[in-house]
Amino acid sequence: MAANFWNSSQNEQWMFDKSELMRSRSEDLKIYTEEEYAKFMIFWANYIQAICTEGSAVSNNCVKTRILVCQTATVYFKRFYTRRSFKDMDPFLVGATAIYLASKVDEMGPLSLTSLIKNVGHVLQKRWPMIAFDPSPSKNAAVYDGEFILLEIMDCCLIVYHPHRPMNIYLQDLQKEHQLKEFDQLEAQCWKVANDTLRCDVCLLFPPHIIGIACIIVGAELMNREKDIKTWLPELSVDFEKVGECVQMIFNMYKLWKAFDEREQIKALVSKLPKIAPGPNGPFFHQHYGPKISMY
Amino acid sequence: MLKYDKLEKIGEGTYGTVFKARSKDSGEVVALKRVKLDDDDEGVPSSALREICILRELKHRNVVRLYDVVHSENKLTLVFEYCDQDLKKFFDSLNGYIDQQVARSLMMQLLRGLSFCHAHHVLHRDLKPQNLLINTNGSLKLADFGLARAFGIPVRCYSAEVVTLWYRPPDVLFGGKLYNTSIDMWSAGCIFAEISNAGRPLFPGADVDDQLKRIFRQLGTPTEDSWPSLTQLPDYKPYPLYHPALTWGQVVPNLSSKGRDLLQKFLMCNPTGRIDAESALRHPYFTDVNDA
Repeated sequence: MAANFWNSSQNEQWMFDKSELMRSRSEDLKIYTEEEYAKFMIFWANYIQAICTEGSAVSNNCVKTRILVCQTATVYFKRFYTRRSFKDMDPFLVGATAIYLASKVDEMGPLSLTSLIKNVGHVLQKRWPMIAFDPSPSKNAAVYDGEFILLEIMDCCLIVYHPHRPMNIYLQDLQKEHQLKEFDQLEAQCWKVANDTLRCDVCLLFPPHIIGIACIIVGAELMNREKDIKTWLPELSVDFEKVGECVQMIFNMYKLWKAFDEREQIKALVSKLPKIAPGPNGPFFHQHYGPKISMY
Repeated sequence: MLKYDKLEKIGEGTYGTVFKARSKDSGEVVALKRVKLDDDDEGVPSSALREICILRELKHRNVVRLYDVVHSENKLTLVFEYCDQDLKKFFDSLNGYIDQQVARSLMMQLLRGLSFCHAHHVLHRDLKPQNLLINTNGSLKLADFGLARAFGIPVRCYSAEVVTLWYRPPDVLFGGKLYNTSIDMWSAGCIFAEISNAGRPLFPGADVDDQLKRIFRQLGTPTEDSWPSLTQLPDYKPYPLYHPALTWGQVVPNLSSKGRDLLQKFLMCNPTGRIDAESALRHPYFTDVNDA
């Protein structure tokens, strides 16, 4: 597993250090403070998750697949905005397109674009009624174009290594060696943390096995079960400095998420979104994509 | 597509037309796979997307290389390395005779490509002679990953109806869904026999029923003893208890005894018993090269 990650496009092209990440966002950080940006990213992860898991468009697929699609789509979204800014393409559209793309890559089965767009409208109206959205069929064309743009900006790197698999291997190992009581609850908590990590930048900064271990540490701490992993953890041969950094970022995200009142704050964040720059924008954008890549 | 001069149409892939073309910059000959997009359809077809994202990760001398993906108004073009022909056309040129050294080399390359894919958690799922490309220098490359998938991701059931009938293993013919690398190993076995017979297919079934009968007539009908949980497969139905009528010496007369031994390790009805690509490459058929 790990060997595959090291040869993957994810490792070769989509692992950043913090300063690179800040530089890649410099355009958007002129508009948003770092904290606002981090909160906004929490919102986008919530937005993608809500579309993937709520409403009728996706209801006939099993939960596991929907969660997988949601995670992959969120990583696409984050990758996209490391190479482009909010003014290049509307994030509502990027989010919907990322889901559309991920549903095909992860073999969720056919997802009708019209019902996906309808679901975007439905979810926004239900959870974020302060954001106006018109789910007209013209949005379909925007997603078709968006699909090309995402493919191009992401350089066709569509296979994403998530932390869940390595985390699961570590968890099984932990259980085998230490026979924990109430292991299932701990396992469920760790999976939840792993899903939540998409609300911060760890997927762009650390390899999946580091995030996996960090999720186990965070999961155990959240349940006050640090003692359960106390003897197991030091046995691992892993870069503990990186794991520590990752743990810290996940806790910071939880803190920020808790303090983030979406209903209160989201409208201000959305209203600050820059107007989409008309016309071709850099070498990646073909002429005809210019004016119509907005969704809201 | 201003970067390439189209030379000729080569064929039809799973989801689009394939052309031979020459790069205007480098003069290099490439294969262009043109994916048509219907605006009100599914956008970029998922088979094309899967091929793109899988080949993006796989770089090996026995896997066809994807150089570039170019899009224009309403079409997507995948730019591949060019190969002279596929294994099926190669068979046609043989006139019923193949040098067993060539057969061994082709099989070894097929297994090296497969072993690489499987190590990278990718199943091909549609191996057949049309999807194996051959160059005049004798190198073989796996191609057409339109039905492939990365199996590294924890997943539900796979979509049904993959793999051309002739190369489809009995577990899949019985509706088995959660398959793994063993699906490709069965196909590899069928192709191995076909190569050694210079292009005569091993089990050319007309439909699922005929396909299973042909397999069981050669291998014997599996039972719960040889294949536990067989009867629980979704489309399982009982077949007469055939006993092999032809010996392997009759079926693949050109193959050495070591080759016949390896062939039988691919063609295990029970998928859990099938040899994997890595182990197959260590089989004496390949390691003891002096054996004719």
